[in-house]
Amino acid sequence: MKQLFNTILAILLTATAFAQTDLLQKANELYTKDQIKQSIDVYNQILMTNMESPEVYYNLGNAYYKTKQYTLSILNYERAKLLSPDDEDITFNLQVANQHVVDSIQDLPGIFIVRWWNSLVNSQTTDTWAFMSIVGFIIFLVMLGFYFFAKTSDVKRITFWSGCFLVLFTISSWSFAAKQKSRLVNHDYAIVMEPSVTIKSSPSEKGTSLFVIHEGLKVRITDKLGDWLEIRLADGNKGWLLAESIERI
Amino acid sequence: MIKKFNTLIILMFVGFLAMADNIQFTMEGPEVVAAGEQFRLSFTLNENGSDLQLPDLSNFDVLMGPSTSQSSSIQIINGKTTQTSSFSYIFILRAKKEGKFTIRPASIKVGVKTYESNSLNIQIVKGQPQQAAGQSAQQGNQQKQDETPSGTISKDNLFVHISVDKTNVSKGEQILATVKLYISQNVPLNGFDDVKLPTYEGFWTKEINVPTQVSFTREVYNGKIYQVGILKKTILFPQQLGAIKIDPFEITCLVRERVRKQQGFFDDFFDNYRVVKAKVVSDPVIINVKDLPNQPANYSGAVGNFSFSGSIDKTNVKSNEAVTLKLNISGSGNLTLINPPKIELPTDFEAYEPKTTDKTTANDNGLNGSISFEYLFIPRYAGNFTIPAVQFVFFNPSSRQFETRSTEAFNIKVTKGKDDQNSSVVSSYSKEDVKMIGKDIRFIKQNKAIFKPKGSSFYGTLEFYLIYILSIIGFAVFYILNRKKIKESANITLVRNKRANKVALKRLKEAAVFLKNNQAEQFYEAVIKALWGYLSDKLSIPVADLSRQNTSSSLLEKEVEPEAVSELMKIIDDCEFARYAPAAFTGTMKEVYDGAAKVMGIFEKQIK
Repeated sequence: MKQLFNTILAILLTATAFAQTDLLQKANELYTKDQIKQSIDVYNQILMTNMESPEVYYNLGNAYYKTKQYTLSILNYERAKLLSPDDEDITFNLQVANQHVVDSIQDLPGIFIVRWWNSLVNSQTTDTWAFMSIVGFIIFLVMLGFYFFAKTSDVKRITFWSGCFLVLFTISSWSFAAKQKSRLVNHDYAIVMEPSVTIKSSPSEKGTSLFVIHEGLKVRITDKLGDWLEIRLADGNKGWLLAESIERI
Repeated sequence: MIKKFNTLIILMFVGFLAMADNIQFTMEGPEVVAAGEQFRLSFTLNENGSDLQLPDLSNFDVLMGPSTSQSSSIQIINGKTTQTSSFSYIFILRAKKEGKFTIRPASIKVGVKTYESNSLNIQIVKGQPQQAAGQSAQQGNQQKQDETPSGTISKDNLFVHISVDKTNVSKGEQILATVKLYISQNVPLNGFDDVKLPTYEGFWTKEINVPTQVSFTREVYNGKIYQVGILKKTILFPQQLGAIKIDPFEITCLVRERVRKQQGFFDDFFDNYRVVKAKVVSDPVIINVKDLPNQPANYSGAVGNFSFSGSIDKTNVKSNEAVTLKLNISGSGNLTLINPPKIELPTDFEAYEPKTTDKTTANDNGLNGSISFEYLFIPRYAGNFTIPAVQFVFFNPSSRQFETRSTEAFNIKVTKGKDDQNSSVVSSYSKEDVKMIGKDIRFIKQNKAIFKPKGSSFYGTLEFYLIYILSIIGFAVFYILNRKKIKESANITLVRNKRANKVALKRLKEAAVFLKNNQAEQFYEAVIKALWGYLSDKLSIPVADLSRQNTSSSLLEKEVEPEAVSELMKIIDDCEFARYAPAAFTGTMKEVYDGAAKVMGIFEKQIK
């Protein structure tokens, strides 16, 4: 019942999306006319309506970049990338903006299969994976029908094997969709917003200072205790910081 | 001999000419005098001359003259002797009436040549009674001085004034500000004390050197003759817009004053003087500064009138050799405030900060001279490169317009140097740096966006699961509706049929191997075996129970064409003949093989 209500709400919100489209157009015009500061306000106005789209985040990131607020631009590029992971422009601009980040963190060299697997999962959005799993399932059902009606053994053999493949495809797409969805909902990654943050070994001010990171750096949130968050850097270092010094993507 | 003599004459003549050119004949006199005042007009010549021709002096009374005087000096420097001498003719004149007069040049003869002096402008103003005797007569004029009230010096007699050559200027345009001290002739000035110079806030300033010893000239101000001393000269470049006030200038002058005293018997011989401090303050000056109209994009703040040139020290270089590009800006204006113009170097060039050389002087015409920028850069790779023309934009205040000067483009040919390999590490490093500078983000996305509520996704919604459930239900309905047909399709015989065909083909495959190897005996045996095995599976009768009779009857029962059955029987016969009575058999192995395959194909289609 509650879900049904949510669905109706979603449909209603889609109807109001025209207002956002107009605002986006206005903001884009301001940006093109070099009135970057004003365009930032309008982009944020769109996001205040609780609606989002990768384009808005991307354009807002560009506007912040042009006004030299690199940390905010990184945050918005990351948000855009979350909604549209396979967009080349977003990846490129994020890379450019990341050159303004002070810290250079070496990624842990993972096993190539794991890296390959992660990049496969991240290559599509949750909706695309969900859609793919449905398409895969329907084709599977069609194949099943063909299998039942097949007169010759060749057809039966083809439909049987393709059916097996489709079941696998459906299940894996489903799980990818679930994984992407969890990234979208959990907001496990965050960007450091304060110019410099000292990472503590324990969730208190008295903890030993482990290392210092600077604004714009992307971290993964692994744990939470009160106002303190445990974060993990791409190079595997872990530590605690105050929740207010980072902004979840 | 004559030739030599001629040369000598010419040389002497040249020497004489050179000497003759050194002769200077000048006329000197005051610029301003009062009517009725005596003044000196002197002519100075550095050679012995004769026959002085005076200009027309009808506007003046010649009171005395000419009195001549002569002086000479001998200098020995490092054994080199130079002798200079000067002859002067002095006249004492008196002006008859007021006005501006020009005394025309006088002429004098030296040897056979006649020389002319300069002309002189003299302004005659209304005579002032206390000055009638002039400066030289001041001491004999004590009676009159006594009349000035002691201890006070009126503003008319002593004041300072800041004069600027213009008050309405554009931003950055140069202004000449002169601080002048005006002293009435009858005020004896002893010295200065406590000078507070203006700070010129809102301006960038450049001082013009004036001698520290203030020299006074005579000048007319409001119809009165004053002794005027220039205390300071400054060139101002306004850096702000609007009305800028120049703070007043303050100076304390020490003025000698006679003490008025009851004249006693003994005092009569000596005058008592005291020094009085008189503080004078100038009036503030207000300068109106206008902004420049529509500044071009590449304008960098230069105001004035300039010429611009550029040169490059070499155009054919080897890689890793330094090249210097020199840009020179000369003229009058705010030269020292000019930023180095930007040059666009090819990306492979390693560039260094430009070196600035300032050769400017400040004088009454403003800040003049030249400023040059030297750009040092090192091409790292061989090739032909072009540095595009460098542009320099400035504002010309006289035409009130922006003007652009540009150099020509420079072509540089870089050939491969010896140590190219050595530097490849460095060059790739710097190349990367340049790349970074040129990097920019990609432009915003203009396409229409699809908006969704934050955090929402299709996955996990009711629709998502509904599609799954509905498609399963749809399939189930479809299955139930068609289950009879499906059952038929999935008949057990179908499986057997399939297996039978497979087995027969496999057995025939064995036969095909024997056929290839031409092993007749084994081939026929294999064909018979395959056929029987096939029929056993097809008709669900064990091989042991199969005979010709029951085979043909059960085949006919299954509605197989009688022709196919007889064909089968014929192949079985042929095989048996071939095995046991090869002489009676006329067919070939190939015919038998094809026949068996064909029969099985027919059965495959017809037996359900």
